Amino acid sequence: MTLFERVFNGNDAVYGLTEQAIDAAIAQHGEEKAVSFPNTAYCLPCYYAVTGVKVTNLKELKEALGVVKTLMTREPRLNDAFMSGVATALCAEFIEALKYIDGATPYEEPLYGHLADAVIRELGVPLVTGDIPGVAVILGSAPTVEEGVALVKSYQAQGILVTLVGGICDQVAEAGMATGANVRVIPLGKDVTAVIHVVSVALRAALIFGNVTPGDAKTLMEYTMQRVPAFVNAFAPLDDVIVACGAGAIALGFPVITNETENIARVPKSLIVQEDVSKFNATSLEARDIKIKITNIDIPVAFASAFEGEIIRRGDMQVEFDGSRVDCAELVHTVDASEIEDHKITVVGPEVDDMELGSKNSIAYVVKVAGKNMQPDFEPVIERKFHNYINCIEGVYHTGQRDMQRIRISKNAFAAGFRLKHIGEVLYASVKNEFEAVVDKCEVIIYTDPAECTRIRHEVAIPTFNKRDDRLNNLTDESVDVYYSCILCQAFSPSHVCVVTPERLGLCGAVSWLDAKATNELDPNGPCQVITKERPIDERIGEYEDVNEAVKRLSQGALEDVSLYSIMEKPMTSCGCFECICGIEPFSNGVCIANREYAGMTPLGMTFPELASMTGGGVQTPGFMGHGKHFIASKKFMKAEGGIERIVWMPKELKEFVADRLNQTAKELYGIDNFTDMIGDETVATDPETLVEFLTEKGHPALGMDPMM
Amino acid sequence: MALSGIQIFKMLPKKNCKECGCPTCMAFSMKVAQGALKIEQCPHVSSEALEALSEATAPPMKTIKVGTGEGEYTLGGETVLYRHEKTYVNKTRYAVSLCSCMDDATIDAKIAAIPAVDYERIGERMHVEMIYVNYGAEAGADKYLELVKKAVATGKTLVLGCDDVEVAKAALEIAKAVKPILNGANASNYEAMNALAKEADVVLGVSGANLDEIYDTVAALEKAGNKNLVIDATGASIKETYANAVQIRRAALKDQDRTFGYPTIVNTSKLAVKDKYMQEALVSLFTMKYGSIVVVDELGYAEALPLFGLRQNVFTDPQKPMKVEPGLYPLNGADENSICLTTVDFALTYFIVSGELERSGVPVNLIINDAGGLSVLTSWAAGKFSGTSISTFVKENIEGKVKSRKLIIPGKVAVLKGDLEAKLPGWEIIVAPLEAVQLVKFLKDMKEAGEL
Amino acid sequence: MPFNRKPQKFNASIKEVTIGCGEKAVTLGGENVYPFYSFDGEITNAPKVAVEISDMGVPEVAGLKAYYEGCSTMAEIAKRASEMEGADFVCLRLEGGDPNGANKSVDELIAVVKEVADAIDVPLAVEGCKNVEKDGELLPKVAEALQGKNALILSAREEDYKSVGAAAGLAYDQKVGAESAVDINLAKQLNVVTTQLGVKPESIVMNVGSAAVGYGYEYVVSTMDRIKAAALSQSDAMLQMPIITPVSSETWNVKESMASEEDMPEWGPVEERAISMEIMTAAADLACGSDAVILMHPQSVATISKMIKELV
Repeated sequence: MTLFERVFNGNDAVYGLTEQAIDAAIAQHGEEKAVSFPNTAYCLPCYYAVTGVKVTNLKELKEALGVVKTLMTREPRLNDAFMSGVATALCAEFIEALKYIDGATPYEEPLYGHLADAVIRELGVPLVTGDIPGVAVILGSAPTVEEGVALVKSYQAQGILVTLVGGICDQVAEAGMATGANVRVIPLGKDVTAVIHVVSVALRAALIFGNVTPGDAKTLMEYTMQRVPAFVNAFAPLDDVIVACGAGAIALGFPVITNETENIARVPKSLIVQEDVSKFNATSLEARDIKIKITNIDIPVAFASAFEGEIIRRGDMQVEFDGSRVDCAELVHTVDASEIEDHKITVVGPEVDDMELGSKNSIAYVVKVAGKNMQPDFEPVIERKFHNYINCIEGVYHTGQRDMQRIRISKNAFAAGFRLKHIGEVLYASVKNEFEAVVDKCEVIIYTDPAECTRIRHEVAIPTFNKRDDRLNNLTDESVDVYYSCILCQAFSPSHVCVVTPERLGLCGAVSWLDAKATNELDPNGPCQVITKERPIDERIGEYEDVNEAVKRLSQGALEDVSLYSIMEKPMTSCGCFECICGIEPFSNGVCIANREYAGMTPLGMTFPELASMTGGGVQTPGFMGHGKHFIASKKFMKAEGGIERIVWMPKELKEFVADRLNQTAKELYGIDNFTDMIGDETVATDPETLVEFLTEKGHPALGMDPMM
Repeated sequence: MALSGIQIFKMLPKKNCKECGCPTCMAFSMKVAQGALKIEQCPHVSSEALEALSEATAPPMKTIKVGTGEGEYTLGGETVLYRHEKTYVNKTRYAVSLCSCMDDATIDAKIAAIPAVDYERIGERMHVEMIYVNYGAEAGADKYLELVKKAVATGKTLVLGCDDVEVAKAALEIAKAVKPILNGANASNYEAMNALAKEADVVLGVSGANLDEIYDTVAALEKAGNKNLVIDATGASIKETYANAVQIRRAALKDQDRTFGYPTIVNTSKLAVKDKYMQEALVSLFTMKYGSIVVVDELGYAEALPLFGLRQNVFTDPQKPMKVEPGLYPLNGADENSICLTTVDFALTYFIVSGELERSGVPVNLIINDAGGLSVLTSWAAGKFSGTSISTFVKENIEGKVKSRKLIIPGKVAVLKGDLEAKLPGWEIIVAPLEAVQLVKFLKDMKEAGEL
Repeated sequence: MPFNRKPQKFNASIKEVTIGCGEKAVTLGGENVYPFYSFDGEITNAPKVAVEISDMGVPEVAGLKAYYEGCSTMAEIAKRASEMEGADFVCLRLEGGDPNGANKSVDELIAVVKEVADAIDVPLAVEGCKNVEKDGELLPKVAEALQGKNALILSAREEDYKSVGAAAGLAYDQKVGAESAVDINLAKQLNVVTTQLGVKPESIVMNVGSAAVGYGYEYVVSTMDRIKAAALSQSDAMLQMPIITPVSSETWNVKESMASEEDMPEWGPVEERAISMEIMTAAADLACGSDAVILMHPQSVATISKMIKELV
């Protein structure tokens, strides 16, 4: 029998029962007899939500059944199966409603049956906030009482709301487990039709919290699909009625996980067979994309930013790991979800107990992550946080990164029971919490076996780092589709907007294009927003209609237009955080650059603070611009005015800092060797006349270029 | 539209002669563009360039000076309607109102009360800066002249509110040396008043029945060669006065209507007669919205404390945050044995932290060193609130004065703990919570645990 | 030549948000001109004044004690507050909930909320105790207790906007106060995420942060100036919510309003200083765009409401 047939059969069976029950009720009470659930303003909530029609008496109920019948089409198509599932659910609601005629109380403690509106409002708030991360609907009888109770408890421990229908109600009662809304375990009823009471919760939540108009079935189902994180665990054996109910659940966006293997078809993400009941929890969470917040990191010492500055001295140290002496590495590695067991932490090699007091050891930890929104570009962003995470552990000290990290564990921490696996716990919890938006699953492997560390470092980590560096070097403004805004500085520079591109990092030097991209993914409403660049106005100066629109919007109208590559025409504004300022030096046709650390005079006749006072504040100042140190060697550095060839002066310290990369760019762009030798510094000149003499002597190309103004 | 430094530079002779005091012509041009220097200060600029540039670089709102010596105040000169656009430059000044219609005892009492308010707040002296000397015609000219004499004797800067030409003339004879404002020109007397003001070389105040009349009078005075003016924006009602003050400033700065490019006077004594509380509301309102001088009946401590605080905040440069003086601030009766706590010199941080410390009631030595006037994380990132800067300050300025060797540092710079422990031997470094509001509980908990 | 007036008219306007029910309901916002710029266009709804009362009773201030004389229950205090000259609505502050203070239980505070709500016929705003964890628990219960009252719940913050926003704005159909810390981008971000939660923009009132004058007040000025500019001239829908500014909770806690006359003899009577601080801060808040201010002293309430009437 196909799944379609099973759904249709189950639906027909329930429909038949419903028709009989309504007819019997009419025969007994008459058509005018009122039907309703107690304590709800939504009459028969499911039927009302789907159709927009309120049913108040048996006559209307009978009419409603006619409407339900129209849903029960019988083509072997997905939609027919879904609609039959919905029809089954509505029939169940009618049957349940009949139980309440004349104010009857069909459910006795601990069973709940229908849930009042007030309960939904109360449960709805934590559902919307994510404090209740999901709703489990457990249907039928678990293979054993123990397995059933273990499953319920696993959800309960995660804060998930558990509703029970059928034999599982008796199973938890038999085990003596406390139930009730206050402990988030709600036994609804023993008949399969009682499942409608949780559907009713989901649909009323859509009406109350989603502002969905009753009768707007499409929006209703979108809401339940996107906003109600419910799923069904149905225990074998499944009869046709349960299969039909399952179709209804799937129509609302709730996946069904079952241990039934007989006569069942698997539907990816919707109908999932998991024979091992102990894995129902993990399978369900993954299928419904539910993430559990980690509120407590299980380690024997404290974890807080107050310990960030703690230094472990040699005498207080139990062991250390030192990447500058032995092979070490720290690495985030993106893999497919199927290759990860979430929260698995493995130590390969000796634990701290097996290491000599005060010894120097190898360590390499690989944090494997997987997620639908995860991109390898985020790996370094996550990795850079390891330093903070590990440093926040009481009695553990961390410096450096990549394969040059150094870690010390104090004697006190060791005595308190701290072991390497706890570093894994910290990394796991911190990554999952902070990078929730991109990391769905996370596993940590800590290697201390020296041979393994050597292998990881040289065969895995270093090639990865090289690949990343290559990617960074090959990222150009042309090779990407979007740029990012950064408005972190608007608190004190209200109209400033940084446009961050691969070749032009934020002027503070701290926000690269990849950082901005990650910030945007992690916090889509945060300071970094996507800026498209589809409508160029002038490629020479790097002006785009869409960039201008974004800048105007983000500066609240203070800035109309900016160019990305010119300091003379519509230059980008500066907030005040810039690492460097470049300014036009008219006598040499070039620009001088001063960095923040430089305290002396420049050939412009202005010091860094003087330049800063006229360049900052989010105002366009043609001829002057703030920027990051790394931008100096970029091929996009004042490209519109001729590029880095225009640089005629920099403080010596800055010149040395950028020399290698700047010389390389000059070689590539103009074929000039050792370009920095032609650039003046404070040991050569701090006034324009002497500078021009020097430049003439060196044959600096700027002298022969067109005037900048 | 203001010119950029580059545009100005292009019109200069580019000699780099340094005679203006700037090392290069570019530096000079940038300063002119900022309004810090005037184009006339270039000794070599051509007359054509000068003419073109002075018109273009002239500010939309005139800067007017009143008073003499310490009592000389600069009014106007604003370039923006909102402080966040750049900064306000010349703060509102407050004048206490005296009138010859008052009896002698009242006048003497009011004059005697004026010096009472005189204190310092974050490096700024706060006191009553001006007196508005109003002519009550029914009391006669002599009484007014007597009052002017008394007012001159206070040493405060004066505004003479008098539209009677003869009386004004006599009053100026008495007061002209202290450079008062003669606030008395209107549509019917402006020619005579103009002559008086010019002769005495004082600022002339212009008023009128409505904005149009004021506008015409100012235009006529400008035509007569007087641009040393202020505008009395006080109208018949609060609503009209507010409309005047806003529209005058907006016309000058947003619409480049230079006729209204003058500072304004708002007289709350007339708008809310003998209503002290309404005057308090209005003096605040007109500090926010464009009064250059605001006149009130009373300016005792009750009014001064919030008002001067407001003014200090509003007129602070958004690019240059307010700083408190570095030093040791014992709170809640702290002595040499009380615990030490440090934070940055950014005024807002200081106020919030000291407020919370005061609320805790725990005696604390608050240590402030020079962190560039930045907030905790910003100054830390800029290297101005570092293990070195804190330890140096503590060694040089604190260790000799305080015996306690416990130092609480802000939670946001917990990372400094180790460095500080190394640089301050003998000190116990304690990390505070992340937010100042948690300090009260933090200190109380420490106290209960006997850790203070 | 007459003065050439150039009014600033905007196509955008501040959204209208109504608090309370029936005849005494108040509407905040609606204007399409800058604060009190009636010469540019009509001010749709004059700014409103709320009277602050606290679950901790009437503070030890002579003028307040005199005004509330004879009131022994919260119901009586609330009723008296609602009758204050110039008052448009009442704001109940549940400061007793602060775990570091009186630490009253949620149930105890809800009883106060109900008592107050039943005693008055003017709209009600309820402010939490400022402790994020406690408010996250308390304010949803407040929203529940006030069903049908169309109350304003203060405040949903970055940390607890979900629980407060969902309860007040979705479950119980109240108005949500969105509180951010003197930064236009934070204010906007909070509005964005709150509306993403499903709360209608028309149900949100912003508290963009407040301070007493002299205490970093420049940030308040610039934040409000920029928000009003973005809302009106840039038609930024996520900043067009009306602004409510709690004044008294800031101004009565600064040194100028608290230092006793014994400690500061030259400063004069403490109550006068506190009133002055409250009036001047409120006037400045209104000048930069508050659509409602929350005040405590009868003198301040009377003065500020009179100033508003004079200006609109």
